[in-house]
Parts: sequence; C-alpha cells; structure tokens
Amino acid sequence: MKKTIFASVLTVSALAFAGCGSEDTANTAGEDGTFEPSKGIEMVAPAGSGGGWDTTAREVARVFGETGIIDENMTVINREGGGGAIGWAYVHAKEGDAHSMFVASPPLMFVPLNGQSEHGHEDFTPLANMIADYGAFAVREDSEFEDLNDLFDQMKDDPESITVIGTSAPGSMDHMQFVRIAKAAGVDPTKIKYVSDQEGGALTAVLNGSVDVFSTGVGETIEQVRAGNIKVLGVTAEERMEGEVLSEFPTAIEQGIDESFVNWRGFFGPPGMDEAAVDYYEAKFQELSESEEFAEVREKYGWNEMYMGSEEYSEFLEGEKEEIAALLEEIGLGQ
Amino acid sequence: MLASINRKLGLLIFIVAAVYLYLSFQLPNYEYAPIDADVIPKGLGILLLVLSVFLFFSRVVETDAEKAKRNIPKKELGVIAAVFAMIFVYILLFEAIGFIITTALFIFFCSWFLGYRAWKTNILVSLLFPIVMYAIFVFALGIVLPRGILPF
Amino acid sequence: MDAFQGLLTGFQVALSLEGIMFVLIGVIVGTLIGMMPGLGPISAIAIMIPITYGMDPAPALVMMAGVYYGAVFGGSTSSILLNAPGISGTVATAFDGYPMAQQGKAGKALAIAAISSFIGGTVSVVLLMLLAPALSSVAISFGPPAYFALMFMGLTAISSLSEGSTIKAMIAAVAGFMVVTIGIDPQTGTQRFTFGNVNLFDGFDFLIIALGLFAVAEVCMLILNRKNRSLSDDQKLGSLKLSKADLKEMSGPVSRQSFVGFLLGVLPGAGATIASFISYIFEKRIAKNPEEFGKGSIKGLAAPESSNNAATSGAFVPLLSLGIPGSGTTAVMLGAFLVLGVQPGPLLMTDRPEIFWGIIASMYLGNVFLLILNLPLIPYLAKILSIPRPLLISLVIMFSLIGVYSISFNVFDLYMLLVFGALGFAMRIFSFPAPPFILAFILGGMMEQAFRQSMTISNGSLSIFVDTPLPLSLLLVALISLLVPAFLKWRSNRLAYKQR
Repeated sequence: MKKTIFASVLTVSALAFAGCGSEDTANTAGEDGTFEPSKGIEMVAPAGSGGGWDTTAREVARVFGETGIIDENMTVINREGGGGAIGWAYVHAKEGDAHSMFVASPPLMFVPLNGQSEHGHEDFTPLANMIADYGAFAVREDSEFEDLNDLFDQMKDDPESITVIGTSAPGSMDHMQFVRIAKAAGVDPTKIKYVSDQEGGALTAVLNGSVDVFSTGVGETIEQVRAGNIKVLGVTAEERMEGEVLSEFPTAIEQGIDESFVNWRGFFGPPGMDEAAVDYYEAKFQELSESEEFAEVREKYGWNEMYMGSEEYSEFLEGEKEEIAALLEEIGLGQ
Repeated sequence: MLASINRKLGLLIFIVAAVYLYLSFQLPNYEYAPIDADVIPKGLGILLLVLSVFLFFSRVVETDAEKAKRNIPKKELGVIAAVFAMIFVYILLFEAIGFIITTALFIFFCSWFLGYRAWKTNILVSLLFPIVMYAIFVFALGIVLPRGILPF
Repeated sequence: MDAFQGLLTGFQVALSLEGIMFVLIGVIVGTLIGMMPGLGPISAIAIMIPITYGMDPAPALVMMAGVYYGAVFGGSTSSILLNAPGISGTVATAFDGYPMAQQGKAGKALAIAAISSFIGGTVSVVLLMLLAPALSSVAISFGPPAYFALMFMGLTAISSLSEGSTIKAMIAAVAGFMVVTIGIDPQTGTQRFTFGNVNLFDGFDFLIIALGLFAVAEVCMLILNRKNRSLSDDQKLGSLKLSKADLKEMSGPVSRQSFVGFLLGVLPGAGATIASFISYIFEKRIAKNPEEFGKGSIKGLAAPESSNNAATSGAFVPLLSLGIPGSGTTAVMLGAFLVLGVQPGPLLMTDRPEIFWGIIASMYLGNVFLLILNLPLIPYLAKILSIPRPLLISLVIMFSLIGVYSISFNVFDLYMLLVFGALGFAMRIFSFPAPPFILAFILGGMMEQAFRQSMTISNGSLSIFVDTPLPLSLLLVALISLLVPAFLKWRSNRLAYKQR
C-alpha cells in the first residue's frame, strides 16, 4: 500500500522532471563514435554542503578543472534530502544525459534496501569508483576488551550488556558494517543492540561510557587513538592499512574473522548513458585517479585509492548488494 | 455563543489529533528497540486529543484584542489568498523559467498588486534585486540557483 | 604558565599583519554571508573552504573562525528588521527584536544586538581561553540520559513562553512536537507520517518552520496593514542612541547569558539555537516584568543575542580540545581544518600551539572588528524598513523563498514554506503562540531520540535517568521550575481569596 503511493509519487515527479529537463538529451557522440563533452558537466552531490559526498564531488570537480583533464566546466550542485533519495531521483530523471553525474557510496545500496528510495545503483550507469574507506570499531581506552574476539565473546554470552552506537540509522552503514563482521564471528545478528545518534553525540557517548562500542569510519578514530582516548579493536579492511596510526589497527581478518567491508566512493551517470560517454569518463577518472594532484587530495583526507572501471564496478556492486540484502533479510530489516 | 470560537477550534484540533493518532497506530513494528517509533507519537496524539477537549469546554472568554485580531474583512483575506496564489505560481515556474525572470516578475506584480504605484522604482528594484542576488549566489558564492531559460 | 605562553604565541599570530588582515576578511565575509537569506555559518564555512587551498594553516583558520562567528553575528539583522531569521540561531532574536523595530526603534535594536553579541562573543573567548582544556571533560559528560533531562528541562519552560491561554500554548507545543516526528525515525529507520513521499524522509528543516511561522505569517499581517506607513521616519529608525537605563537593563541578561550560552555551546548537539532559546526563557523567568517579553523588551533581545554568540565560541571547546564536532557547523569547520592538514583534537594544543592559541586570540580581535564594522552600518540597514510596504512585502517573501531554497535546493520545501506560512497566520489570528511550537520542534525531536537511546542502552529500564547525578539533578531542576510557579500561583490565589 505504502509502496504504491511511493511509486506513483515518484512517477509523477519523474514525469514532471522529464518535462523540464529534456532540453538537452541529444546524443553528443561524435561521428567516429567517440565522445567529448560539448558543454558544462553537472555534478550532483545528493547531500548538503560540507558532508562527505559534497567534499568528494567538489574536490574531484576542482582537480579535473585544475589539471585540465576535463576542459569543460564542472559545476557541483547539491540536491539534499531523503538520505540521498532526492538527488538520485533528480539524476534518474535525466535519462541518457551525458553531461550529468553524481557521487555515491554504500548508502546507494542501503537506502533502497531499507525501502527508502525507489532507485538503487542498478538504476544508474556506473562510471568509475575512486576511493575506498573502511569501518572501524572502537571502545574506550580503559575498556576490558583488547580485541574483537573479546568483544564478540562477551556479546555471545550476554548480548544485552553491549550497546553499539553509530551515526546512521539501523539498517544503514554504521550498523550493517558491524553486523556483518559480528555475524562472521558467530554473534547472533538479531541480538545486537544498536543506537543511532545523528546529532554528533556518538563519540561523546563512547567517551563517557554511556555506550560500549563506536562503529564508524577509520578516519574518525585516528586523532582520538593518538590522544589515548579510545582504542580500535578492529577495522573492516582486507589488509593492514598504511599510515602512521592506521598501520596499528588490526583487521578483522587477522583476528580470524573472515569478513571485510569497503566504504567505496565513486561516480554514476543517469540511466542509459551513451557507451562512448561512459568510455570517455571512465578514462578521465582513471587519469584523475593516477594524477599526482588527486593523490594529494587522498592524502589530505586519508582516503585510499580504489579505482574501478565501469564494468568491474558493476560486478563488485552486484556482489555487495547480494550480501547486504541477505544480511538485512536475516535481521528482519529487508524490504 | 462567546465560547463558540473555542468550540470550533477544539473540534478541528480534535479531528487533527484523531487522524494523527490513527496514523500512529498504523506505524510498523520494529523489534530491536524497547521504545518503538510509535510510542511518542501515540502519547502526543492522546495529549492533543485531551487538550482539544479542554479547549472545547474552556470557559475562558476571548479578550477584545483577540477578537479584533480575528475580525478580518473578507476582502483582505482575499488579498492574502491572492498573494499566496502568486507565491504558488512563482514556485511552480521557478525552476523551469529560472530565478531571475520569475523573481523579477514576482516582485513587480506583487508590489503592484499591493498598491505600489511608483512603477519606475518598481521596475528598477524588480530587476536589480534578482540580478544582484543571482550574481552573489552563483558567481561569488558558487551556489547554483536555477538558470532556467536565460543563457547565463 | 603554558597557557600564558601559548596565548602569547597566539597573539603573535593574530596581531601580525597577515593575522589582522585575515581576521578582517573573515568577519566581513562572514557577516555578509550571514545576512544573506538562508545562508548561515555552515554555508559560509563550506563556501570559504576552497579559498583556503594552499594557504598557510594559521591565518587560514583564523579567517575561517572569523567567518563562523561573523555569520552568527550577521544573522540577526534580518530577524530584527524583517522577522525573517536567516539562520536558526537567531529565531529567538526576532521575539523581541522585531517588535522593537516595529516601534520605530530599529537602530536601537540593532545596536543592542551588536553590543550583546560583542560582549557574548568576548566573554566566551575569555572562558574559552581559560577553560578550554578543563571544559573538555564537561563536553563529554553528557550521555543520552543527561541530554534527555536537559531537553526536558527546556520543554518545561513552554508555559513561560506564552501569554494568554495556557491550553493554547500547550496545543501549539504539542503540534510542534508532532511536526518533528515526521520523517524517518533515526532509532528504527521507520518512516513516520511521510506517506511515502521522499521529500518528507528527512523531516522539515528548522528554517522552513521558522521562516513560515515568523516571516510569512508576518507578511500576512503586513498585508493587512499595508496602508499603514507610520514607520517611514528615517531619522528615528537609524538612531543608535542607547540611554544609560537601556545599558543598565541589558547588562544583567548579557552578563548572565554569555555564560549560559557558552556552556550550552560546549555541549555537543546543543549549539547556538538551543542556547538562544534557553537564555530567552531563563531571562523571562527571572525578570521582574516578564509581561514585557515578546513586546520589544531589551532584555528579551539582549539575552538570545549574547547567548548565541557565546555558544559559537563554546562550540570550539569540543572541536579544538577533543576533535569532536558537536554540530553540523563545527563538522564543516572540522573539514576546513582537515583540508589545511590540521587535525583538531587533544594533541592540537601541544602539536600546533600557534593554531590553537592563534584562533582563540584572533577571536578577541574579530569581535572588536565586528562591533566597529557593524555599528556604522546600522543606520543604513535600518533604512530597509522605510521601503514602502508593498515593495517590502514582496522582498521579504523573496528573502524567505531564497532562504529555504538555498538550504535544500528542493522546490517541495518551498511549498512547505507556504503551508507553514498559512499555519502561522492562522495561529496568529486565533491567538496560538508560535514560540512554544518552535521550541517543541527543536527540543522535542532531540528529547525523543535521547529518551529512546537511553531506553535501548538500559534495556528498557527507566532507572537510567536517576542512577547518575547529572540527569537526576537536571530533572530535579525541571521539576522545581514546574512546581514553584504553580505553588506561587496557588498561594497568591489563596491570599486573594482570604483577603476577600
């Protein structure tokens, strides 16, 4: 019932969008089958200014411009709302437009899987993945837990005694990355106590002992670890990361838990983007990823390089989505 | 008769509360929280229901000032409705036609409609305000406003 | 000793030619962006980040800090003149600032706001300087139960925010609380009252409600009185004259609320908006003549203005000393630090003392600049009010629409602005007060989340709220503040009865 209303609202809005946005969907492929942008490119950040998506979009647009990898002007526009759903609907309506793209990360899977967006990654044209980030599970410095297995053993014995906190809602990233690792370690995923704090109080709640575990991104923990406030029990990367503090973080895999989670970040075009255009952007993103200027950007924000071309990206996303969907199903949050 | 306005309002709020409460009872169940998403809304719904009953039976007499506030000539309400309609049309056309044109038209016609007859100043302000705003937002601050049918 | 040494280093940074220049640029840009519709500190900082690329971190961050508090400073202008708060931290400013401007005292109102902001800002920098390291433990002492208690305490003040019918105030508050339940519930991911509409998933932005209930509703009142042009006395409007009595009247609230604002700013999640409301209520509660509040009271204007600026510096405590961004704004600020290769946190003070103390020292300077720059501008700003009514009405409508659009870039939100404008107008006609609605909207949402977080942590046991001293004492204060006025009323009724 809810779904039908949702669908009809979206259809109506999609139609409305299509009505006004159809001015330039003409095929811009050249005669020899190659593509060159013929006007400014619109880069959509499906969030407000200042967040992770916005930063990535603006940095990419800036470096593209400064290095001259893409000559045409790239404008970042923000379409905030619905955890990304509004921005996705906006791009989705630009079917076939080769001058439009948006930045995405795992919420592009979590949000539709939670039934909160009609559009998922499979509704768009993957161009390239650029960056990888990983999750970290941290506890207070004076916590009795020394590694992930200590924590998970306690959770197996007395699940009510452990509370996990994260920034996203249940069923989204901070929650599911923890569930994924914990389940692989043999914890009953339906017994995990998770609270969400979207007002910036999550780290505080860990530091003052209100909750036990902080599920977050690796980058959020570094400074607190250096200051000796918290310790990271494990990260979700496949292998040890590089970097001053990062290299001290043990992975879950090292601790005998055969599971990992990547917080990927890449770019997608509207559905039905011309193949010549996909090839063009794919190559440009690769050039960007390999450039010195972008390496500096990665360094600055502590991002890891993870370039994937369109096809590889697609396959990777399919595999991820299956796994997440199964997990959500198991804890009863799937739609 | 004096209390009749409170009665009408009480009844209206009662209906709003009832609808809200009904919707709260439709909220799906989530297993993992001791206090689910429907608890607070149900509490609020009931509270509003009770308050609306209080309002309905309240014997507080309206002060003259309150009464005067309520006493708006029909014609003036029509003017407000017309301004709202203009805003509505503005929003409707805003993204398609673009910020500068719709804003210029809105300021000119809205001011005219409300009785501003200095048409030269009006035209000047109607043009300058959107152009300056657009320039500040788009060129100085990098915040994109709808361009619409204009080329820049 | 260390702190003193550090501060000296800081002043060296701030008082260098470069330092002075960037503080100046920061506060000017901040004030101007803050005056723009819908653009507050968040957008101001985000906009300025690309400009700092490649700059030396110390002057760049001094500038960014200036942008931040400059934007809070500039945000009050439209609240006072147009009843159209440009940012959420200045909604409470409109409660008394706008009535004052309507009484032909716009210049005075702006001057009071500027001076209160200046004092709030300066006092809190002193506190920041002296207490930043010590206060970092306060910043993290609030867990979910304590936040619940704090928000609850704030909500008990609703009765004091209203005049006339208590029932109507309660109804307005419950309605505000109901509106904030719309959207995806963070604790469960359940969609509440969204009807499957994507645009409602995130709920309503605070500014849509504030601009609707205040600015658009006010536009309706202006339309009704559009032929009334008694306000066009230019000389009077721009006059900054503050009498000794005025200064004396504002001294109490300003000195108290600078501290209150600072402390609330220190708490992650509370911030300038909540600080300004709590300060307003605080002053109204202890005032000898609370009935003047909402009608152009100097105290009612000075309290939120000193508080929101003090909270801005307060927010630097967890950011600088812990690396914890306590609000959306400081999260973007954290981003600005990272871009420049500076990691705020417990080690900043020892690793990069010139930055830590440079920012603090520059804030003294910045606040002085803000005052000096803003006072001469006031007569010109106040002239806005002498724009002929019909034109002014159109411009205020535009201001509100651009404001809402530049938050989300979503046309749906513009329609919602219209809806809340109509609601605000109806509330005025039928004498339902708007402040309780707004207060419940801000505090209610956070209170619900904190309550349910606590209950999940405690596995459903209410004892979590009384087991530790902090939430317990806050709840006791709330209880006292509810019971004492009721008791006093009862006693005075009884006395009146006896005398009869």
